[in-house]
This record gives sequence, structure tokens and C-alpha cells, in this order.
Amino acid sequence: MKRRTFLGLGAGLSVAFLAGCSLPVIPKRPDPTPEAALGWIRYVDGRYVLSLPRAEIGQNIATALKQVACDELGVGWDEVDLHLPATIDIAHARATVGSDSVKDYALPLAQACATLREAVAAGQTDGVLTAEPRPIGALRAFAAGARHVGKPMPIEQADAIVRGAPVYAADIRRPGMAYGRVLRAPATPEFTSSPAGWNAAAARAQPDFVALVEDPLLRQGESIGLGIVAETPGALDRIADALDIRWRIDGNVDQVEIDERIDIDRRLTKGSLSYDLVDEPVDRDGPWDVDLRLDVPPAAHAPIEPRAAVAEFGDAGLQMWIGSQDIFYVRDVMARRFGLDDEQVAVHGRRVGGAFGGKTICTVELEAAVLARAAARPVKVQWTRDQEYRQGFHRPPSSHRIRARVRDGRIEDWWHGFACSHIIFTNAGLPPWLQRMTDFIGDRGVARGAIPPYRMTQRRIEHDLERLPILTGPWRGLGAGPNVTAIECAMDECARQACMDPVAFRLAHIEDPRLAGVLRRVAATAGWDESRSPPWKGRGVACGIYKEMSYAAVVADVAVDDGAVAVTRLWCAHDCGRVINPDQVRAQCEGNLVWGLGMALTDKLPVADGGVAAASFADAPIPRFDQVPPMEIVLVDNGEPPTGAGETAIVATTGAILNAIRDATGVRPTRLPVTPADLLRSAA
Amino acid sequence: MELRINNRVYAIPPAWRDETLLATLRELVGLVGAKFGCGVGQCGACTVLLDGEAARSCLWRVADVADREILTVEGLAGADGRLHPVQQAWLDENVPQCGYCQAGQIMSAVALLRETPRPGDADIDAALADNLCRCGTQQRIRRAVHRAAEARS
Repeated sequence: MKRRTFLGLGAGLSVAFLAGCSLPVIPKRPDPTPEAALGWIRYVDGRYVLSLPRAEIGQNIATALKQVACDELGVGWDEVDLHLPATIDIAHARATVGSDSVKDYALPLAQACATLREAVAAGQTDGVLTAEPRPIGALRAFAAGARHVGKPMPIEQADAIVRGAPVYAADIRRPGMAYGRVLRAPATPEFTSSPAGWNAAAARAQPDFVALVEDPLLRQGESIGLGIVAETPGALDRIADALDIRWRIDGNVDQVEIDERIDIDRRLTKGSLSYDLVDEPVDRDGPWDVDLRLDVPPAAHAPIEPRAAVAEFGDAGLQMWIGSQDIFYVRDVMARRFGLDDEQVAVHGRRVGGAFGGKTICTVELEAAVLARAAARPVKVQWTRDQEYRQGFHRPPSSHRIRARVRDGRIEDWWHGFACSHIIFTNAGLPPWLQRMTDFIGDRGVARGAIPPYRMTQRRIEHDLERLPILTGPWRGLGAGPNVTAIECAMDECARQACMDPVAFRLAHIEDPRLAGVLRRVAATAGWDESRSPPWKGRGVACGIYKEMSYAAVVADVAVDDGAVAVTRLWCAHDCGRVINPDQVRAQCEGNLVWGLGMALTDKLPVADGGVAAASFADAPIPRFDQVPPMEIVLVDNGEPPTGAGETAIVATTGAILNAIRDATGVRPTRLPVTPADLLRSAA
Repeated sequence: MELRINNRVYAIPPAWRDETLLATLRELVGLVGAKFGCGVGQCGACTVLLDGEAARSCLWRVADVADREILTVEGLAGADGRLHPVQQAWLDENVPQCGYCQAGQIMSAVALLRETPRPGDADIDAALADNLCRCGTQQRIRRAVHRAAEARS
């Protein structure tokens, strides 16, 4: 049945790619066969259908790629229909991570559209074409005078969003659908835990009880869960209470243990760290001009949408509706766990209500499928906020020590040591034995952004990796947020040592002209040169490069009142090359500025009693409305190839805010988030 | 038992009377605009209007709102599909990123504009203080509320 659906969808005219063309390489995936590669763009009955090969997670990539498609096809905005595909509709597309959707997908999409345009113009309306790689200069979407590229087009699905129409996974309703939850021990999934006893009779006696599900597949990490299914969502709470589960938990962890295990100074006193990123001959003894510590705590992604999935088994196999950054990975997990062929699993990717790196593995999806199979009816599972904290993975804590020597206005020696738990090789996905096999290559996510974009005579940059008992993994910007923040704080202190203006000091050390460009631009926009801060107000600057491709510089103004920090204004200059949609690049910059503000002032997850000890937003605050200041974004576009904007400005924002706090108070913050108590203690 | 939602009357079967208003709107009635975000009234994604005032639908039991006039985001647009000025302002300012919190933001903004037709930034910040947005759309929301206020005046 799936196969027939598959061929049915192929009606009309579609484009396949030659093996070896610029389609992104997909790990552990075969080249798409002509049968599998239905393509992202099709011509059907006089209209075009864009099957989005990326997850729509709020970066509004659907809008950007539709702009490219319209211009390359030479058609109007209303002639292309957006389709968020299922796994059975298009060839395997890799996870939507790393700010690479425009960088890696815009060009192949335009190439396919060019091929399709020419075929349609020649009168062909049916069949499968072969797309040939064409240079960017031969593509209309990237030529001067394009109709849609470079313009602020209306956001795809925005009309549905403001009307409240169903676009997210949890909005799906299926005939006969029930509601499920998997109950787990109140402990980190790193510890072995399982239900030791429960009152099944009391649970079954609850109105609207449907099923109690014990299944070895209800395992997340080392946590064995117990599933419940009910006729209504509210009945789940009553059934869970009635079950009164006693938990067996093997292990304990608290904040003190996390802090000790990640403490950089403890590690440095023992000698060298495990991973050398740069190993130049820096004299590690003797006096330093700058000696700075920065500790970054675990933090939640905290999307407003807790992850959700709807699963339904039928004669043809399994159908799922999910909100994930990687629908094909979820498909692969389902096929493996349930012994199905790939074609028997149709995973529909829905608009995702915020992801930020956190919706990249398979959790709630497997729970929903196991419960649907057990209950023999469609089941919806949406995690509670409490589950998001206790069972999700988070930004890893990290601890940094940066030491520097400054002579005649230049940095001679730079030594940055830091400790962090895993990011790309996350313990949320890899058991210890498998993670150990990655030890010899290290974790590039942890190292991201750790090499400063500045001229220095000698540098030593090293780090340790520590598997912690709490789950850690990718979080917007990965290691680049904390690493660049630490670097930019140290640069600020170095400028003070050199008695130089922080912007001039950076410019004297910057090697990349594009980085210098955004820094000059933000300084000019913010009126840096004229600025003199009154007492208890301050101004700071920072800049950085993300993934060797995108550039940002930020100026922050703060006001400090009795230790309480208010960010009063933010400016950002941003260069991600050729801009497809300036309004949405600005939106990504705004998001990154608010995230950087959160890093500086709010984001933290407490650890206690065997795991993450947060149950609600009250325990893990994120920036609120009145904390978000006016933000001004300047886009720099000198026509370089398009890169990415989703995680760039965050690298410069937190540093700019911390440097502004230093300017206002004379206190160099050493621990995030900055609290009034810490500031007042340091100022005393 | 019946609920009056968006000027329509819906019969509520007994099994749903102890449910939250949010779960009932979404799962029984099929009005999915209000969202589940936290379940304890801290994020505002589930905001609807009860007799014209912003309320967290995750905190209300269905049985307790039987005599109230309930307005959800689906009830804002006119019968001809024409958007409410607040919804239109959200589109004009390109507010949504992920969009998940926006129905709640819109409903809080509608409630604000009923009370304060020409709000200042501080009024907006106060009225929306308990509507969280993780994507960072706050600046655009402020602009959209001002735009909607101008459109209505």
C-alpha cells in the first residue's frame, strides 16, 4: 500500500539528482535511487509543489526555500504550494541542525528548479528528470534583480498560526485516538531505574482507563518506564496517582557533584587536559596579566512546545505525526524497533514549536508508538513540562579558565582550558561503551568556537570531556556560545590591561576582514566612539565567527540597580553572506540576542536528588517580556555565498552583556547566569 | 452540559467535565489554537478569553466555565474569514518564528486592547509578562500590538 501511495505521489513531473552532485552527503545512507528520489519540487496540474527537505522549526526555512524556488522557476508566490513531507514522500534528508539549510539546500533546490523550468517550457509535463549541477552564476534565483530572493516575503504557515489552525504534531486528532504517558522514576535516565511496585487494580478502576503497558521498548537510557493509556488527557493524571508507583533508582547526583566534576581549576592542577585544540609553546608558569574563570551551568532548550507525537498502526504499517528536527532518524528507529521496512513507516514532519537542538533524538515518538501498538488504537503523547526537564537532554555545563599575557597592546600568550560534557556524542543517545569509542576523536561540538579569531603569538587551547550523570547534548550554537563568551570576556580584560578601547583592541588582533567588518559596523551603529557611561550603567562589545562561516558583533547597554541587571539596548551587525530573506535573518538575529540575554541573566537548570530538579518554568526561568530590550539589527551582505543565521549572533551577545556589566560595576562576572547576589558579593 | 465557545454552543459529554478547558478545546471540540505549554499557568500558550478577560485555559475545569462566554483564537476572525486587527498586525509584522506561543500572545493582546486601546510599551510588557516566547519575538509583538492599536483607532 505504501508503495502504491509512493508511486501515486510521483505523478506529474519531478526531478532526481545525479549521484555525486551537490546534494548533501547523508551518513549511512545510500544514494537516492530514481524511485526513491521523488524530489523536492514537482509540477502537478499546472502548479508547483515544494516538498520541504528541512524541518520547519521556526527559522522559517519554508519561506526562504520557496523564495529560491519561485525565482528559479520564474513563477509567482501563489503558484508554488508548500508541502511538509513524510518520510515516504522524499529521499532521506539529514537532520535540520547546524544552521546549514540555506547554505546546503538552496543551491541544489535552485538547480532542480532550473531543470524543471526548462522541461516545462519545452512542453513536458510528466516523468522524472535528471538534474545537472549548474554553477551559481547560471541560476536565476541568485542573479541580480530576482523577484523574491532578497525580499521580506510573507511567512509560510503564518496565516494558519494566527488563526489557530492545526500545524503542530499535538494538533493532530485521529479517529479513536487515546492519550498516553510513560511514567518514569524521578531520576536522570543515566541511572538504572524501574518501577518496583504499583497498584494496577486502583489504576484500572479509574474512569477512562484504557491500558497499562509494560514493554521493554519503554526504555530511555537506563530508565524503564511504565506506560498508561486513557480516553482523555486528564485521566492520565488520575491514573498515574492511583498507580502510586514505587521506584527503584540506582544512583544519586546533586549540584555539588556536577560542579566538582566539571571544575576546570581542579583539572588543571592535575596537569594537561585530554584534548589539544592548539598546542603552541606557552609558558604556563609565572605571572599572567589576565586570569579569568567562567562557569556555565546546564540549561534547558525550553521550547514552548513540549515534544509530542501521534502514532497509529494499520494494515500498511505505522503512521506517525511528529515535531522533530530529524524525521528520518525517527523513521529508522521505528523500523528497527518494530521490525518494519522503511516503506512501512510513514513519519509526517509537522511544524515544530521550537527545537533549538533539543528535538534531534527519538524519545516521545517511540513512547507513542509502543503505546499505540499495545492499545491497538491511535495514541497521542505529549510530554509534560516536568518530563521535558527530567528526561530531555540539556546544554552541558562547562568551566573555563583563560590566562593571557599582553605586551605593547598585543596578546602574546593565550591559554584557555575548559571542561565540558558531551554535545555531539551526547549521552542521551550513546551508552557509555559506545561513547568511549568516540574518545579518540573528541567532540567537535564541545570544541566549536574555542579557537579565537585573533592574532596571538602563542596559544594553548585544551579541554576535557566528562560524561556526567545528567543528559547533555546540542543546544543552540553548541560549544560556541560558552566558548566565545569566555574568549570575549578575556579579550575585554586584555584590552583593559593594554589600556585600549575594546573595539580598537579587537580590530588590532582580528585576521578575518568580514569579522572586522561587522565589528566596525556595530560600533558605528551604536555610536560606540561617543559613548561614555554614567555610573551603574555600562556598555560592552563582543564579536565572533560561527562555524567558520557567519559573523556577528554585538553592543549591549545595561543598567545595574542594587545588583539587578537590566539590558537596556542591543545592537547587532550580522554577515551570513547572500541574504535570501532579510526580514527572517533579522528575526534569527533577534532570537539569538534574546538567547544570549538568557545565557547571561536567566538560563540555568538546578540538579538535585538524582537528576534535573526542575518541574516548571518557575524552576528554570527564561527571558520574559520586560527583560527584552529594543534591538537593532544591521545586515552586512557583500554577496558572498549564503551561509547560516540560526546560531550566529548568540556567540557575541552574552559576552557583550557581561562586558557591559563589567563596565557598569567594575565586577567581572565569573558564573552564569549573573545574579544580584553574586554581583553584590563581588562588588563588596 | 454545554459550553459557549466563539458564539457557538457545544455539548460536553460527562467524561470531559473534569477535564481542563484546554484539553477539552483541543481534543474534544477540535479547536487546537490554544496550546499546551506548561499546564500550570506559567507560559500563557493556552490563553483564551473568559467573558472578555484573558484566562489560562489549562487552569480551568470545564465544569467551572459552563456559564462563561469563551473566546478562542479561532473565534477572532470574521465569518467571512477576514482577520481581526490583532491577527492582521501579527502577519504585517512577520511575528511568528516557531509560532507555538503566538495564539496565546494574540489573545492576551486582544484582552489588553479591550482595556487599554492605546497601550505604551510598559503596558504591553506588563500585559504580556506571563506570555513566554522562547524564539525571541517580543520586539515584534510590541510592534504588532502598536500596529493593531493604530488600526483600530
